[in-house]
Amino acid sequence: MKSFVAFTKKEFTESLRTYRLVVLAAVFLLLGVMSPLFAKILPELLSGVDLGGGIVITAPDPTAMDSWAQFFKNVGQTGMLALIITFSGIIANELSRGTLIILLTKGMKRHTVILSKFLSASVLWTASYLLCLVVCYAYTEYFWPASTLSNAFLAFFSMWLFGEFLIALLIFGGILFGNLYGSLLTCLGVIVTLSLLNILPYVQKYNPIALAGGTLNLLNAQKEAADFIPATIICSVMAVSLLVMSIVVFNKKQI
Amino acid sequence: MTNTLSVKGLSKSFGANKVIDGISFDVPEGSTFGFIGANGAGKTTTMKMILGLLPSDNGEIFVCGEKVSFGATKTNRFIGYLPDVPEFYGYMRAKEYLQLCGEIAGLDALVKSRRISELLDIVGLSGVNKKISAFSRGMKQRLGMAQALLNEPKLLICDEPTSALDPMGRKEILENLKQASRKTTVFFSTHILSDVERICDRVAVLSGGHIALSGTLAELRTKHKSNSILIKFASAIDKEQFVSAAALLMKDAKSVDMELTLRVTDIEAAQRVILRILFSNDILPLKLEVLEPTIESLYLEVAG
Repeated sequence: MKSFVAFTKKEFTESLRTYRLVVLAAVFLLLGVMSPLFAKILPELLSGVDLGGGIVITAPDPTAMDSWAQFFKNVGQTGMLALIITFSGIIANELSRGTLIILLTKGMKRHTVILSKFLSASVLWTASYLLCLVVCYAYTEYFWPASTLSNAFLAFFSMWLFGEFLIALLIFGGILFGNLYGSLLTCLGVIVTLSLLNILPYVQKYNPIALAGGTLNLLNAQKEAADFIPATIICSVMAVSLLVMSIVVFNKKQI
Repeated sequence: MTNTLSVKGLSKSFGANKVIDGISFDVPEGSTFGFIGANGAGKTTTMKMILGLLPSDNGEIFVCGEKVSFGATKTNRFIGYLPDVPEFYGYMRAKEYLQLCGEIAGLDALVKSRRISELLDIVGLSGVNKKISAFSRGMKQRLGMAQALLNEPKLLICDEPTSALDPMGRKEILENLKQASRKTTVFFSTHILSDVERICDRVAVLSGGHIALSGTLAELRTKHKSNSILIKFASAIDKEQFVSAAALLMKDAKSVDMELTLRVTDIEAAQRVILRILFSNDILPLKLEVLEPTIESLYLEVAG
C-alpha cells in the first residue's frame, strides 16, 4: 500500500511536470467552450450565404441539442484522440526506457504499477472530462436556458466509460509490446475493428464504440436507456478484463 | 562463513542461444566479488535472474538463504541494485528520486530522510539541485549508487558500474564501492580488470556460459603461479654475457632494453641456475623477480 501511494504520487508529479495535465485540461476546456459556441454561430455564418443561382441556405435556429451534438462529436473524436496521445506512453515509455527496473528491485509489486497508472490516468481523464462537461453545460444554459435533457447521466457516463476503456487498452498494449507504437497500434487497431463491426446492425447494440458519441440519441430521447445498457456492460467488462490481462502478462514479462 | 548469494546450476537460453550453462558459485558474506566476463558473456543476464527480473531455465539462486523466484520481489529486500545504465525520471531531482525509492522500499520517514542526506553526501550530490535530465553520466551513476545503498542492503549488486565513465567518474565510483564494501557484501560485474585488482577479494570469470575460473585473488595467484622470471641488468655488457652463458634458458625469452623475461617450466630449478650463472660470471643484476600473475594474464589464459 505504501508503494502504491508513493508510485501514484510519482504519477501525478509526472503528469504535472511533463505538461500532460496542462495539455489535457486545455484541450478539454477548449472543447467545452467550442461546442456551444460553434452550435450558436454556425447557422448564423451559413444563413444568407448565396451559393449562386438564387440558392440561399436557410439554417434553422440552433437549439441546446445542437450544442450537445457538437459536444459528443468533439469529445468523441478530438477529445478521444487527445486522450490516446496523452496516455499512449504511460507504461510503454517506462518499459522501453527501463525506468521501472530500479523501483521493481526495491520491492514494488508489478500489479501496483498497473493499478496505480490506471488510477492516476483515470483521475486526469475524469477531471478533464468534467471540466469540459461543466463548461459546455454552462454555455449551453446561457444560450438556450432551461433546455430539457433526457437520460443525461447515462449519456454522459457512457462517454466517460469509453475513455476509461481506452486507458485500459493503452496500458494493455504498452505491457504487451513494451513500446509506444505497440500501445498506439493496439488502441487504434481495436477502435478500427469495433468501428467495422458497427456496420453489422445486430452488433450495434453491444458495441462499446456506440458509447463514444452515439449517446446523443439518448439525450434527445430518440433512443432509450435500454438501447445502450448492453454496450455499457460489455465496455465495463472489457476494461476490467484488459486490466486483469495486463497484470497477468506483466507478471510473466521479462524486463 | 555464510553465503550471502549462492547460485547453483543456473542455466538460461535465449532461443537456441545458451547464454548461461549450468554455472555455480557462492558469494560469502562480507566479500567483494568481481564477476568478470567479456561483453555479452551473460553477466547482466545472470544478475537479472538473481533479481527475479528474468526467469531461469534451470538451477537455483539463494539470497541470504531465501530462494529467488521469478516475478516475485521478496528476496530483493536484501538487495541494492545498480543497473549498467541506470534510468531515472528526468523531471525529478536527486533528492526527490531517493525519496520515491525510500517510500517504495517502505523506509520509516525519519530513517529515510537521514539516509538520503547521508548518501547524497557520500556520492557527492548533496549540493546539486538540478533536474536529473541535466545530469552527466557519472552523476547518474552516483545517484544509482545512492539508491542502491538506500535500504542498507545485505547484498549490493552493480552491473558494470565503471564501464561508461571517464577516469574521474571511475575513481569516484570505485571509492564508493570500496566504502560500501565495509558494510555490505558486494557483487559486481566488470570487464575492466584493473578495477577488480583494486577492490575485489574474490572473482569468478564467466566465459562461454561457464565459470572458467573462480576463487579468492590470493588463491588464484598461487594456483596459477607464474613461470616467468624477470632480470634487470646494470649494463648491456652484463646482459650479453648472461645471454651467452645461459643459452639453455634463452629458448623462451623476451628482451626489452636492460630487462630479460624468461619463461621456464620449473621455476625453482631455473632460479638456482640463474643465480649460479650470475655468480660465476660476477654479474650483479639490478633486479631479479619471480613475476606475479596478473588478473589479465589469468583472464586471457582461461577466456582468451
